[in-house]
Amino acid sequence: MANRPLQLTLNGQSVGPVEVPDDLPMIDYLHEYRNLTGSRLGCGQGICHACVVIVDNPDGTSEEVRTCITGAHFFDGKKVRTIEGHAHRDESGKVTELNPIQQKFVDKFAFQCSYCAPGFVNAATVLVEKLQRQPIKKSQMEQVIEDSLGHHICRCTGYVRYYSATRDVLLDLDLVKEG
Amino acid sequence: MKQLFPRLSLAVALAVPALLAQAADQKQIERGEYLARASDCMACHTAPGGAPFAGGQPIVSPFGTIYGTNITPDKEHGIGQYSDDEFFAAVTQGKRRDGANLYPAMPYTSYHLMSREDSDAIHAYLQTVEPINRAAPVTSLSFPFNVRLGLMGWNMLYGKDVQLAPADGKSEAWKRGQYMVDVLGHCGECHTPRGLPGAMQQDKRLTGGLLNGYLAPSLLADDLAARGWTHQDLSTFLKHGMSAQGTMFNEMFPVFHNSTVGLNDQDLAAMATFLLGDQPPQARTLAAVPTDKLSASAQRGRQHYLNVCAGCHGVEGEGKPHIAVAMQGNTTLRLEDSRNLVRVIEDGIGEQKFAGFEHMQPMPAFADKLSTEQLADLVNYLRQAWGGQPTELAVNQVEQLKADASAEHKAH
Repeated sequence: MANRPLQLTLNGQSVGPVEVPDDLPMIDYLHEYRNLTGSRLGCGQGICHACVVIVDNPDGTSEEVRTCITGAHFFDGKKVRTIEGHAHRDESGKVTELNPIQQKFVDKFAFQCSYCAPGFVNAATVLVEKLQRQPIKKSQMEQVIEDSLGHHICRCTGYVRYYSATRDVLLDLDLVKEG
Repeated sequence: MKQLFPRLSLAVALAVPALLAQAADQKQIERGEYLARASDCMACHTAPGGAPFAGGQPIVSPFGTIYGTNITPDKEHGIGQYSDDEFFAAVTQGKRRDGANLYPAMPYTSYHLMSREDSDAIHAYLQTVEPINRAAPVTSLSFPFNVRLGLMGWNMLYGKDVQLAPADGKSEAWKRGQYMVDVLGHCGECHTPRGLPGAMQQDKRLTGGLLNGYLAPSLLADDLAARGWTHQDLSTFLKHGMSAQGTMFNEMFPVFHNSTVGLNDQDLAAMATFLLGDQPPQARTLAAVPTDKLSASAQRGRQHYLNVCAGCHGVEGEGKPHIAVAMQGNTTLRLEDSRNLVRVIEDGIGEQKFAGFEHMQPMPAFADKLSTEQLADLVNYLRQAWGGQPTELAVNQVEQLKADASAEHKAH
């Protein structure tokens, strides 16, 4: 396999160009080249979604992308956020504030072993950002949460608390209108 | 005691023929169940999630949507009042009990050569399924196709068109396969092109047809062999829904569950014998194409493949068991017409469950993920690397295929 240059924006920082193999999966790039080990390799088949990162599109939308089945070069020129990029940090790099989703997941004991948590945080973050652009009616909330988180697998079966925490965040942030 | 024996003898004499008749009936019913499966009656006469044979499956045609009818033994809405004669007329001539013509979505043009014995067996079986007292949705076609009388003319012109190829000098397996493929299986109804009035073009039998925007590929022996099919592969494909050439998908996927999975090995082998012939042509094998021999478009396509396909289909196109099919040897890549390849990439394929624990994971739809240029490059790579199809697709050709796909989505 040949190498080719890869350049992307990772958690707000421009990275590269760096030569990486043309068939390198993104999860391996994050783990082995960037030491960003928060994105989890679960099934390796695109099913469990523990490995998802967020891609910020030029049109202002954001979406989840599975890194276990997507090559690193797919992300060339793109803006990518991983689980390590959500919290606020001080100058020394110490976390000073979690994002609202992370904080609520902690407060509600949403996860147990935490292996799936980065994926759930990213999915719920994408949902929050979507509703910030276009709020929904309260009657739609359960279905919208299901549509956003339903494809993520948690083997500790923490779904009820993940969903409950996400519901609280959407209401706290006033992203759900009466109706 | 003297009196008891004659009484017993009489009882036995009366009971044995009745038991034998019952056993014969049961045998006929079991045979009918098998033949109904071979004829894939379920495909049209069972709605998704609906009661078996209660009708309601929509069949989209260029003339409007036709709904499969209720063929349970219900006397009001089903075929409970049909005699064997009337059932045979419906199946082989498209004649309803009241004398009206059935729409030719009912493949009586293929079934017209079904034997009376087989028709009676299917009828006997259908009389044993649960009667459902519910009318199937009413078919509403645009004029003039909504005039059933007009179908008489259609039948005069096009009906009963399926003529079997001469079987002189063919093996018994070939003859059985012909009956399974051309009559019961009515494979030609999809795999034969249709002319403007919706009738199969008999001079182009099994050369491939279009169905809901997908190509039902040619089943001619030389074409199958050119796409790498062997007798064993075809039998395996029909029995398991998958083989080295890929999986059944789209309209062929329900055919597997409703029909071919339940056919016996002898009949499946016979179907393969008929399709490939008693002396099958040599299946074409393809050598791997080195990257530097690929066109510029295909080389760009290779990187798209590594980016979004290789995670499941393998860097070298080797596939992953129970996850995604191999690209090496894949039959869809070997089709000269790239319609199915473009459609699959655009639409994706839902999770597929096969027999036993076998399944394939869902393939995502890439309609919003790849630009038309990227899609053209990817298709060119797949066709050149593993399809033996060096002809390049231009971006505007892919654009047209995408537009066709979009029109099909709207139609459905």
